[in-house]
Amino acid sequence: MPRRAYHLIGSLGWVIAILPLLAQEGHPLTGTWAGDWGPTITQRTHLTLVMNWDGKNISGTINPGPDAIPLASVYLDVTNWTVRIEADTKDPSGKAVHIAAEGRLEDLSSYHRRIEGTWHQGTAQGDFRITRD
Amino acid sequence: MNHLVRAPVAVLLVTASASAQAPFSATYDGDRQVKLEGPVTRIDWVNPRAYLFIDVRDPSGAIINWAVEFGNPLDLDRDGWKPSALRIGDVVVVEGIPTRGQARQVLAKSVVLTRTGKRLFAPSVTHRPSAPAGPAPRWPDGQVRLGPPPGKKGYWGAASVKALVENTGATIAIDDVGLLLNLSDADRVAPFLPWAKALYLYRQRRRLQDDPIARCVPPGGPRQFITPHGFQFVEQRELGRILVLLGGGDRNWRIIYTDKRPLAQAAETVLSYYGTSVGHWETDTLVVDSVGFNERFWLAPGGLPHTEALHLTERFSRPDLNTLTYQVTVDDPRTYTRPWKGGWTVQWVPDEEIQEYFCEDSAESTFVR
Repeated sequence: MPRRAYHLIGSLGWVIAILPLLAQEGHPLTGTWAGDWGPTITQRTHLTLVMNWDGKNISGTINPGPDAIPLASVYLDVTNWTVRIEADTKDPSGKAVHIAAEGRLEDLSSYHRRIEGTWHQGTAQGDFRITRD
Repeated sequence: MNHLVRAPVAVLLVTASASAQAPFSATYDGDRQVKLEGPVTRIDWVNPRAYLFIDVRDPSGAIINWAVEFGNPLDLDRDGWKPSALRIGDVVVVEGIPTRGQARQVLAKSVVLTRTGKRLFAPSVTHRPSAPAGPAPRWPDGQVRLGPPPGKKGYWGAASVKALVENTGATIAIDDVGLLLNLSDADRVAPFLPWAKALYLYRQRRRLQDDPIARCVPPGGPRQFITPHGFQFVEQRELGRILVLLGGGDRNWRIIYTDKRPLAQAAETVLSYYGTSVGHWETDTLVVDSVGFNERFWLAPGGLPHTEALHLTERFSRPDLNTLTYQVTVDDPRTYTRPWKGGWTVQWVPDEEIQEYFCEDSAESTFVR
């Protein structure tokens, strides 16, 4: 019953409960991401990333607010959906600290897609996981 | 004897009719097929989808109740079928496509009444007669009418294509739900930026199962003119606006202002599915500029992405009574390397109103189980 089945897509009632209702279907990095990073499961540091695509570059901020760290570079490799993020900040003593993170976009079609990978901040390193808000 | 058979059908998407593929992508798993037999326990002849329920004995002997989706009641009625074609207690054999999840639900490809061997609810082979030819209707001042002629009914129905692709003259094999038959043709669909092409191909490889329209999200952009249930223009000339009433999707509407207001600045508009549209007539062509789109929909069947930077220029003309020509220029420098054009024609459906095809989304789970 092809014609009827075809009509059905316009009725659009297909139940896909595992998917969120309102996904962001544009550039997959655009948006606000929240999560944490740290060397162990119990030693975690909160992380908020805001990223935006302007057609040429991805810009953004780590932890927007008084302690915001501008992203120096963000690179998305669309062949495998990996993301490299770099930024520079200072520690409490004023010493320069470089941040380098590399992760993979997971659950790409979900509004609450994730990036998981490794996080290096100065001499510290660990894993990170952020989820799009 | 009741029985249940499962068999992989890896080539089903290729061989099944394009129309029947539509629901596979979202709810149904086109890689599997089931054959069910059992007595009918319930019949739901309710728009937009008709269901019957049957008790099926599984290999262990347990009775499992399956929901069988078998068509749209309005279409079934148009083809001469009535709910009385089947009675509670009738034993039927159903072949169809199961859902991706655990639900005991199947989209029927055939329903056969065991006691007679008759195939039920098959579509009619007769086609709806086309409207008589004629010139485009006009208002008293000579401007083309996009709606019905005075005193008549009608709406715009099927589009001449099933997907939006760039007008290059190239032939691209695409099925009825927007799936490329050859993914290497992606570069000819539109001038994608690398991320956009990768995302488009990701959606294609997932057979469009993430399509937002399957969640009752409005069909923003060109997609509103390519849904199976048609659309209608209501020209409110005294109010300086044209309403586009949509028969598909979540059955809502879009406003095109023709009162000479300026096009809003994209950065200052509240982002929406249909954007902010202003239109003007260039002789017999309605030219509509739109900005202010959100990023929650796909531009067209097949998974074309866009960003908030999207600017659409649409051109509508009616060369004769039965034909609407739709051309769109897609300008989104964050998604495509340059502006590009596509379009299609749409056929007039005379003497009918748009039928009730409401999207139900999660309500469906309430009705079915």
